[in-house]
Amino acid sequence: MAFLSHLISGISLGSVYAIIALGYTMVYGIAKMLNFAHGDVIMVGGYVSFFAASAWGLHPVLGLLLAITVCTVLGVAIERFAYKPLRQAASLAVLITAIGVSYFLQNAAQILWSSNPKVFSSIVGNTNFPMLDGRITVSLIALATVGACIVIMILLTWFTGKTRMGKAMRACSEDKAAAQLMGISVDFVISVTFAVGSALAAVAGVLLCSMYPTLTPTTGAMPGIKAFTAAVFGGIGSIPGAMLGGILLGIIEIMGKAYISTQLSDAIVFAVLIIVLLLKPFGLLGRHVTEKV
Amino acid sequence: MLEVKGINVYYDAIHVIRDMSIEVQNGEIVTLIGANGAGKSTTLKTVSGLLRSRTGEITFMNERIDNMPPHKIQRKGLAHVPEGRRIFMQMTVKENLEMGAYSRPGEADEALDTVYARFPRLKERRKQIAGTLSGGEQQMLAMGRGLMSRPKLMMLDEPSMGLAPVLVEQIFEIITGLRDEGVTILLVEQNASMALQIANRAYVLETGVVAFSGPSGELSQSDEIRKAYLGG
Repeated sequence: MAFLSHLISGISLGSVYAIIALGYTMVYGIAKMLNFAHGDVIMVGGYVSFFAASAWGLHPVLGLLLAITVCTVLGVAIERFAYKPLRQAASLAVLITAIGVSYFLQNAAQILWSSNPKVFSSIVGNTNFPMLDGRITVSLIALATVGACIVIMILLTWFTGKTRMGKAMRACSEDKAAAQLMGISVDFVISVTFAVGSALAAVAGVLLCSMYPTLTPTTGAMPGIKAFTAAVFGGIGSIPGAMLGGILLGIIEIMGKAYISTQLSDAIVFAVLIIVLLLKPFGLLGRHVTEKV
Repeated sequence: MLEVKGINVYYDAIHVIRDMSIEVQNGEIVTLIGANGAGKSTTLKTVSGLLRSRTGEITFMNERIDNMPPHKIQRKGLAHVPEGRRIFMQMTVKENLEMGAYSRPGEADEALDTVYARFPRLKERRKQIAGTLSGGEQQMLAMGRGLMSRPKLMMLDEPSMGLAPVLVEQIFEIITGLRDEGVTILLVEQNASMALQIANRAYVLETGVVAFSGPSGELSQSDEIRKAYLGG
């Protein structure tokens, strides 16, 4: 029974990683860059939701919507002012800029909100459900997280598969020059990608803080790195890959903690990543795309 | 319809197009021929905005386009079917065609019917992933995708590349058909003799400059051109 309950925690933590990983993978797929500031957008989402509830007394749903709005604007602004001027620059310059933006956000948060931890109260309360005649308990937030992850997956599949903008995103991720020749504005598509990724980061931030209620300016850093790992694990650039990678990573982390060692759980996560990449260099669902000359 | 005046294009320090001027009139097929590396594809890329000229001007339908980004130039009615086709390999045939009409979503269904009527093969394969098509089908898809925006001018870069002779004939017939329906064509070809047969006028490029130009009939009679480009 303990195993089942660990599995449920793992899937729920993995769902948060998956939602974050989607942001990494979509931005990578389209802008071909690793947005290391993505994790810190999660933290901003957490703070917005925290103040919405504690300072302004807003309903949790309104707080979530506010966090989504703020993060979307933030994500688009980061792209516009930090990354867009580097569109033609070497990828190393972009990578370093992304790390810089990450530190900028963490320090800005520290100035604005101090480094004292805030205690976040779960947006769905602390309800628990006994299951299997009370042999295990499942928290409402775990169910809500898994539910959110499934809904997001369905919406994104629909968005990329059926809508005009979603198809334009896939076209840009395959061949930007050809996409431009179709009349697609690549800059606009990149902005939309950052908007979607950052909105997802806000959702992830609120869910993460509801699970682990301590909120500090570096709250987003570790989950950001883990979700990046999840995106690589599943095959960076692949949306189903990010989902699969995130959920597997969550399960491995919780199982590692439960059965091997609490201290080593992060090391186990990264060890698994290394093994997967040695066996499948493009990740579980990644495709090897030959560079076009 | 299209006027290119005195453009100079560089790849970093390499000067690939020198003071080039070409012109395409409404209703014509104009072809650019010349050896590999003569600057044919570069010229098309500069017209469609993928590359920038350092000097000169490019006008399309009496409007300067040399400072516009590629997606805005496309929306003026100029379709560029690039070298190597560049179809979206992981998308379906139908999705590729829809991308062609991205800038005119309201007219996509009608344009799709027209393209399917011209290329029945694409209709049969509409749900197939484009990467699984044969070379000839991929070329048809690239041309169909270009036609989805209902262009006034279509620039085709090596449409016959890598295709069997039967298919080459077919592609050239389609190009003539398009001209007869009022689409102006700027055609880049290595298959110079075929290109001269269907074109009204031609420009012969040599290392980035226009070496000869004139009506195709005259050029294909010229001894110099026959020797250099038409195999004697």
